[in-house]
Amino acid sequence: MTEMPLYNNLYLYLFISLFLLCCGIGGMLFRRTLIGMLICLELIMNGAGLNLVAFNRFLAPSAPYGMVFTLFIMGIAAAEVAIALALIIVIFRRFKDIDAEALKELKE
Amino acid sequence: MSLGELIFIFLLFVTFCGALTTVLARSLIYALVGLVTTMFGIAGFYIYLNAPFIAMMQILIYVGAIAILIVFAIMLAGPFYKKPTEWSTVTKFLVSLVIALFTYLLFMRVILHSFMGRGGTLSELTTKDIGRSLFDTLTFPFELVSLLIVVSIIGAIMLALFSKDRK
Repeated sequence: MTEMPLYNNLYLYLFISLFLLCCGIGGMLFRRTLIGMLICLELIMNGAGLNLVAFNRFLAPSAPYGMVFTLFIMGIAAAEVAIALALIIVIFRRFKDIDAEALKELKE
Repeated sequence: MSLGELIFIFLLFVTFCGALTTVLARSLIYALVGLVTTMFGIAGFYIYLNAPFIAMMQILIYVGAIAILIVFAIMLAGPFYKKPTEWSTVTKFLVSLVIALFTYLLFMRVILHSFMGRGGTLSELTTKDIGRSLFDTLTFPFELVSLLIVVSIIGAIMLALFSKDRK
């Protein structure tokens, strides 16, 4: 059996993206400001993209669908960040605060 | 140990440190710097996964667009509010740690029982194949994503411009 390089292993990439997912979930629960939660959401999306490309490379190397869906994830993340930041700025104008615990009321 | 493995371990280190900084940093701007570091590490992993086009797109879109957008939001909303009290309470920290660890163990069991971690043959996928599948079989999702981006940009402009400052 020939010696495989370290990086030629599907598990390793899955564990990296799992680590990113757990960091993102922990940060989403732990952060208090809305922008901090958004940053942690980006970590989760990065992990999902890495997962898709790794599956494409190791399990289905004949068609580039995993890579294309990673590109879609990037586009969707850009759209989501634009909307979320507009919402955060509106919330900041209204409440003078982006602390998630200050947002107790929806409508007066 | 070859040079490729050394660089791979360096990328692992960069990604882990970036992710931990993102979660644990006190200030939001440090968390953003950690996020950018993580994104660069993941771009390196994409190169190891034989997808250099995705790596370039990762750096262009995430670092070039999304991180800059978040910097703008921090600058617009950041300095005015009181000192950010991250590290909320010890209880909250412990609870999020426990939930993250639980997720880790759960998915680790799933991963270890599901997939075979074999190193397949290197595929011959190039950027040409990606473009061909974008305009051949995946045209409809591609157009849907472009429509989504247009709608979100218009929605963001509407939200930022026309929301009255009712005090």
